[in-house]
Amino acid sequence: MAEDEAVDPILPEFPTARVKKIMKLDKDINKVNSEALLLISCSTNLFLQFLAEKSAEVATANKKKTVKLDHLRTAVKRHRPASDFLLDSLPIPAESTQSAARSVTDRDRSRPVSNKPAPAGTRRIDHFFRKPENEAPIS
Amino acid sequence: MAEDAGASGSNNDGGGSSSNIIKEQDRLLPIANVGRIMKQILPPNAKISKEAKETMQECVSEFISFVTGEASDKCKTERRKTVNGDDVCWALATLGFDDYAEPLKRYLFKYREFEGDKVAANQGQGIVDHDNNIEDSNLDRY
Repeated sequence: MAEDEAVDPILPEFPTARVKKIMKLDKDINKVNSEALLLISCSTNLFLQFLAEKSAEVATANKKKTVKLDHLRTAVKRHRPASDFLLDSLPIPAESTQSAARSVTDRDRSRPVSNKPAPAGTRRIDHFFRKPENEAPIS
Repeated sequence: MAEDAGASGSNNDGGGSSSNIIKEQDRLLPIANVGRIMKQILPPNAKISKEAKETMQECVSEFISFVTGEASDKCKTERRKTVNGDDVCWALATLGFDDYAEPLKRYLFKYREFEGDKVAANQGQGIVDHDNNIEDSNLDRY
């Protein structure tokens, strides 16, 4: 397998200042030497490449040309170290949020009762909820 | 009454919201870098949804925090204040990223050699290498 020496997969491509800022978001982190910064950049680069590759494989398997969030999610689930710390940070699947929203609005809106006549011997349910005209309101 | 009472729906329009935005940007690696690296890996005709790219940004930031945190914990246990390259290699191996730990160790070794050469060159053309006596004797011949 010929390695492409022109594009070193390990070489960090991220702005080091930004990587350092992200590292220091954790208040427990005191000092970080230049080697640590370099290796974090490199390993992050490798990790991103790995995620991209795996997500693309999922997309291809699903016969899709566009890599989407669901493909990424599947790729993360399949990789044990990544799934340990990443699954919680992935956004909630869009489908479940949409259906959840739908069911909420359905509950909020009173459903119009159909105009079909009730079967013989039964009463329509809205009959129970109609205010009897003769009865006085309960005080 | 108070004018602020009615404005609870919207975000505060003073400096508060802008500082939140800055923090969000600092938390993530630039999407341009993320997108470029992804494009290098994906087949030429493949596309990436915006949502996937943005989620990738989050994932890599989580990765950075995760590995750095582990390396930092090791330092604390050993009562050291500075996280170094070996700590990062150790953290990667511990967290299950052994595939990265090995090539990165080699990379670190080369980097140290390279840095060492740079330092030596910067110290001038005189006799720099105190350890290697053979060079001194070579110089004597000329």
